[in-house]
Amino acid sequence: MKPREERLNDRLEQVELDRRFHGLGGQHPGEFMMSGREQEHDPEVEDLVALAQRLQQAHHLQVTPDFARQLEQRLLRHRAQLQLQHGSTRRSLFALLRARPALSAVLGLCVLVCLLSTSVLALAAQVTNPTSPLYGVRRWEQHVQIQMSSPADQAGLDLQFARDQLKTLPSLADAAHADAYHQALLDLDQQVTTTAAAVKKLPAGVQQTQLTSELASVKHDSIQVLRALLPRLALPEQLATTGELARLGDTVPIRSRVSLKLPVHPSNRATVSFTGLALQPGAHLLVNGTVSEATGTLQDGQLVFVVEWAGEQHPHSLGMLNPDGTAAETTAIGIEDAPGGNQHGNGNKPSATPTPHGNKPSATPTPHGNKPSATPTSHH
Amino acid sequence: MEAIEHVLDRARQGNAEALSALYHRFLPGIFGYIAARVPDRSTAEDLTSDVFVQMVEGIHRLRAQDEAGFSAWLLRIARVTVAGYYRTRAKQPAHFSLPDTGWEQTQAGPFALQGSSPETDPVQWVEAREEWQAVVQSINQLTEEQRQVLVGRLLLGYDVETVARMLGKKANAVKALQFRALQSLQRLLGKSRRPLPVLQHQKKEKGR
Repeated sequence: MKPREERLNDRLEQVELDRRFHGLGGQHPGEFMMSGREQEHDPEVEDLVALAQRLQQAHHLQVTPDFARQLEQRLLRHRAQLQLQHGSTRRSLFALLRARPALSAVLGLCVLVCLLSTSVLALAAQVTNPTSPLYGVRRWEQHVQIQMSSPADQAGLDLQFARDQLKTLPSLADAAHADAYHQALLDLDQQVTTTAAAVKKLPAGVQQTQLTSELASVKHDSIQVLRALLPRLALPEQLATTGELARLGDTVPIRSRVSLKLPVHPSNRATVSFTGLALQPGAHLLVNGTVSEATGTLQDGQLVFVVEWAGEQHPHSLGMLNPDGTAAETTAIGIEDAPGGNQHGNGNKPSATPTPHGNKPSATPTPHGNKPSATPTSHH
Repeated sequence: MEAIEHVLDRARQGNAEALSALYHRFLPGIFGYIAARVPDRSTAEDLTSDVFVQMVEGIHRLRAQDEAGFSAWLLRIARVTVAGYYRTRAKQPAHFSLPDTGWEQTQAGPFALQGSSPETDPVQWVEAREEWQAVVQSINQLTEEQRQVLVGRLLLGYDVETVARMLGKKANAVKALQFRALQSLQRLLGKSRRPLPVLQHQKKEKGR
């Protein structure tokens, strides 16, 4: 046996069919159907069918012809009025523009300027290369956005922009984009500093705690990204990146003192010693911004390089390139003469005097620019 | 007969014939829905006018492409209009409305006793009015879905599938809603001990 709701529905459909048939003047199909269904006769269902029929026929729910006619006329008048209003608004605007060509020209110009500025702003928002002329517009957009926000939102936006800045760096980590890379690195640094200041300004609370944690996360991500980029970079970019890593709080080599012990005889070897933190054995020596083949060893906490040193010229800068790609360089070199000689400098002032040639080692860098075979020659 | 989709398209463009066709098709359902929810005919007529004025003003924004979608949209306007009416009434001080002559004139038939009419017999008029109030109260106690099923099935004459599309439900759910709606209505009317006026009339007809 069908469920009651099914039987009720069948009966209602049957009644509707009957009603329509009667309306068309036909025979009562329900009479034929009823005989077969008498077994399913259910007084409760029949009561509900009767109630439904009474509802259908309730005169309270029937529309009077007068009301139907009047409302239809009112609606059609209303429609005509609406169309007239719509048409007149459109026509009046066109008429005004036609009557005053100067006004239409100004309007056209305004629309053009709006379109152009929107396009420029939209294009600038996509720009990631700091050498692009639109990069300045993008920075300006970000600045305006930040200025127009509440302090908490400012910090949030700063964080977002720092993340965006970080995303642009990998695409610039090659020789062709060296300048852009430097600029992007500077911008990242500036953005992180600004964000830190904005977060610090916030009153203590949940929001500040959350933003502080997000800032820490951005710094951590930045360290990861920059570390991964190091092997792809040339020496100047490696030096800059190492500096940024240090500012982000990463452990990078820090030299507190560099000393150069020149040989007694021009053909002898010189010793370069670095004193500092996180010094790594196997690092290459940098002489005047060029990587030499000499590798350092750790002796009593000092990183020591023993290198062939032709002549007596003093280098302009000394540094180290670690196996992990971090690099450090300084011009503050303490020069020690050979035993019996004088010691110049105290590690704070560059005591070496650059030669007119800029004290460059005469060794020619390899095509990668990182591995000159080493020995600086003397310039007389 | 033109497909409802084409009528809807033309009505969206402001075609008067199409708007008229939609109006004639949906007037009984919308009026029935409203009249079953408000106490008197004049209010029902006012609110029905509001609904169709809103239809004319908003049809160009309508996205519905079929009859079920259009019905759902129109019933939504009707529901909001009725709710607005009750909100406004709640803020106004209680008052008794004066008898509406147009209403009684049209209702004279179903309520008529031999030798008397609501117009000439104030007692009968009050009784009839109170009976209908009980029906309205009962219908107002149904859920909105139950009301919409009753309107779709009984006043607009839709099959179960169309009502299901209108409500975004399955056919079986609509059948269950229909059953529960009528059952609840019967129970509520039983509680109020007031049969539908038309039933009273029918019983009298049978008795004669």
